[in-house]
Amino acid sequence: MEVQLEDPAEEIKRLRRCINDLVSVIALPAIWSGSEPAEMVRTLLDVLLGMLHLDLIYVRLEVAVNKVPIEMLRVAQFRGLTAGPQEIGELFNRWLGDDPQTWPPLVRNRIEDEDMTIVPLRMGLQGEIGVIVAGSQRADFPRQTEGLVLSVAANQAAIGLQEARLLNEQKRVAGELDQRVAQRTTELAAANEELIREIAERKWAEEALRTSEINLRQIVDSIPGLVCTLSPAGEVIHLNRQVLEYFGKTAEELKGSAFTDAVHPDDCPRVLAAFRNSITTGEPYDIEHRCRRADGVYRWFQVRALPVRDTNGCITGWYVLLIDIDARVFAEDAIRASERDLNHIINTIPVLAWCNFPDGSNEFLNQPWHDYTGLTPEQAHGWGWQVAIHPDDLPKVWDKWREHLVSGEAGEVEARLRRFDGVDRWFLFRANPLRDESGNIVKWYGTNTDIDDRKRAEEELRRNEAFLAEAQYLSQIGSFSWRVATGEITWSEQLYRIFEFDPNMLVTLELIGTRVHPKDMHLLQDMTARAQDKAHDFGYEHRLLMPDHSVKYLHLIAHATRDRDGQLEYIGAIQDVTQRRHSEEALGKARSELAHVSRVTTLGALTASIAHEVNQPLSGIITNAGTCLRMLAADPPNVDGARETARRTIRDGNRASDVIKRLRALFSKKNPTTELMDLNEATREVIALSLSKLQRNGVILRPELADDLPLVTGDRVQLQQVIMNLLLNASEAMSGVDDRPRQAIIKTEGDEGDRVRLTVQDAGVGFEPQDVNRLFEAFYTTKRDGMGIGLSVSRSIIESHHGHLWATPNDGPGATFSFTIPRASESVTGATSLGAIQAPALTDAAPVRRKA
Amino acid sequence: MINHPLISVVDDDESVRESLPDLLREFGFTAQAFSSAEEFLASDYIDQTRCLVLDIAMPGMTGPDLQRELTRRRQEIPIVFITAHGDETVRPHMIAQGAVECLFKPFSETALLEALNAALQMS
Repeated sequence: MEVQLEDPAEEIKRLRRCINDLVSVIALPAIWSGSEPAEMVRTLLDVLLGMLHLDLIYVRLEVAVNKVPIEMLRVAQFRGLTAGPQEIGELFNRWLGDDPQTWPPLVRNRIEDEDMTIVPLRMGLQGEIGVIVAGSQRADFPRQTEGLVLSVAANQAAIGLQEARLLNEQKRVAGELDQRVAQRTTELAAANEELIREIAERKWAEEALRTSEINLRQIVDSIPGLVCTLSPAGEVIHLNRQVLEYFGKTAEELKGSAFTDAVHPDDCPRVLAAFRNSITTGEPYDIEHRCRRADGVYRWFQVRALPVRDTNGCITGWYVLLIDIDARVFAEDAIRASERDLNHIINTIPVLAWCNFPDGSNEFLNQPWHDYTGLTPEQAHGWGWQVAIHPDDLPKVWDKWREHLVSGEAGEVEARLRRFDGVDRWFLFRANPLRDESGNIVKWYGTNTDIDDRKRAEEELRRNEAFLAEAQYLSQIGSFSWRVATGEITWSEQLYRIFEFDPNMLVTLELIGTRVHPKDMHLLQDMTARAQDKAHDFGYEHRLLMPDHSVKYLHLIAHATRDRDGQLEYIGAIQDVTQRRHSEEALGKARSELAHVSRVTTLGALTASIAHEVNQPLSGIITNAGTCLRMLAADPPNVDGARETARRTIRDGNRASDVIKRLRALFSKKNPTTELMDLNEATREVIALSLSKLQRNGVILRPELADDLPLVTGDRVQLQQVIMNLLLNASEAMSGVDDRPRQAIIKTEGDEGDRVRLTVQDAGVGFEPQDVNRLFEAFYTTKRDGMGIGLSVSRSIIESHHGHLWATPNDGPGATFSFTIPRASESVTGATSLGAIQAPALTDAAPVRRKA
Repeated sequence: MINHPLISVVDDDESVRESLPDLLREFGFTAQAFSSAEEFLASDYIDQTRCLVLDIAMPGMTGPDLQRELTRRRQEIPIVFITAHGDETVRPHMIAQGAVECLFKPFSETALLEALNAALQMS
């Protein structure tokens, strides 16, 4: 170290400063008190750096935390040193060497291109505490004062660090001690707390036990059951109040033999056996028997006893509970009875009933099911029931069943079920699900109802309907109903066909009217008017004029009835009789031709017969006459021969005359029969016979027959022929009438002088008054093939009945023919003198009233 | 006999049996009457009969029956049928069956004479 002389004042100043520095350094330990070594070193470095204007200062503490040396470096602010404490440390080690004892007082070297003088200082005698290295670029570094300060600072640091180390150790030991004490204290406190708690719990438990025992006693005494406790050997220890009250005995009595007396004698052996068994084996006791109540009534009890065991499993006693189940027993009896009834019902109802599991397999089938199918429960159980279903129906039943199993909805299906004897009958299968509270299906219940008869009836009905439709089609008959009040008309299919209406058309009277033949419209109007007026059965024949101008003939009959509401309803049938009518007309023509032929034939035969009978004598007459002439012309005349032949001629003439007489006798009618008769009745028969013909001619006949008409005596057939003759005349007189209804009235009534009158009035062509007498002449007719004897003969008949027949022209169109005959009381004798009147054939009835 | 050929009359009607033989005799014939076919067959006059006036409709054996019987016996006697059942269809039929004539009662003398002459010419 180079000592330079300097200015004394400066030196003083410097020295003073040095002294201040030394004081500051010596004061450092006071500042460090209680500080950590790292903190102390940091302070030291900061102080020295500033105090000595160092460029850098480095410290390494050998003993520090976790045996790792602490290295620290402080650099003056103006220096841009980039190296860290460890690099600097290593650099200094290289410069100084490993042994602190041999370190030079200072070293000059370059650090990062800067010349630097460093001064190492040991802390501790051997440097065991650490090392401080101070560096400066100053050339005079270190001055003496600076060396002093550095050395003092190193010593102070060593002392301070040593003290700090000791203090730390002391602190550590004291801390450990405190920790241990605290831990122990905590442990003790915990133990103490536990102890206190245990004591408290024990106290509480004891208290609870006491309370519980009291409660238990109270519970035992107040529960609505009979309770008692027994010793391990089965002796009664305690009985609750209910026991005493029920049996009506004291605890002492019951503890004695009275307990068994309280059991029903019939149950006693069973009870004792079970009791002994439980006492011996320790098994729980559970038995139902009757106990006698204080009033002597026995009630059913369920008696249950459980053994109480100690920790070793030894029985310390028995708790016994007696439960009054009398009501339950009765209820069970009732349920059993009810089940029996239900079973009875299920197995006797005339329905096949069953119950299936939710998956569709069978659980139960009732007795009728088994009886019907002949399958045993074992055969039918599960899926076995299928064999009873007709193979053709099984797929359908299966599909339906699956559908319901999926949907869970009730349903039904029809299928045939095979009877035990192999006969298949139709059944209605019905199934209903039973659901629990959450809606899941628990069971399926179902019935099979025999609908074979119904099914058969349905088929029969279907067949009949088909037959009916077919029959209507074949027979050309349609049916209808007509509700008069509402005008509602229902037609069968065939009727639409007959009328040639579209089946969708609504049938009304107006619609029908469009088809009715114009000339028959009055028939329809008359029919509807009368049908609406009052209920009566009726029948009509009328024509239809079809759009193609063809004519159909219909025959209608209707039956009056009342529907469910009491309203008038006609039900009837309409037959298309066009074919029949045509046939009838053809037949009628054929018949009249036949009649003509027959008449001709008969006449021919008659003529032949007459000719033969007459020709024989005529032949004789001519021959004899010829012979006679010849005999007279002979020479001489054979007078005797001529006389003889003339005589024969006369004889043969008489003979021919006799033939004619015989013929007259042959053809003359016997005397007419006379009888007491009702003219009304006879008239009604004639109406019935001629109605068809009248209707065919479009004639409306209105009978007005007197109620209290007297009887007459006469030939019924002859009088009826007269009536029919008059009716047919009336009908034919109107055959050309198209401008007004062809209406005829036939009327019977009493007449003056105890006579009976019959009148037939028509609306026909009538006759001129001057012709009235000719009407009744025989052979007066304009009818082409008529003989014109109708009215003539009719008048003969009436006159033979002592009556009169006459005609009068009407005020309006038409004529009226009437006859009167005496009533029975007067005519009885007269009728016997009826002359020989030949009855005319009806076909000879003559329409004689054409106007001239 | 040659000049007076025998005409036999067979008829069930008595007035014919009485009147016709008298007329035949007036014509110059010999006449014999029989009331039935059986009576004629049983008589001895068959061979002598030059012409047979025969009624068609008779009880028992009819005129045609007798005609067939005579044919069977090879007795070829010309026959004039007479009948009271006048039917125009009968005559052609009878003639077709071999009759000379068929007369309807009552018949005229002329018709009878013509028929007899025709018959006698055949025999």
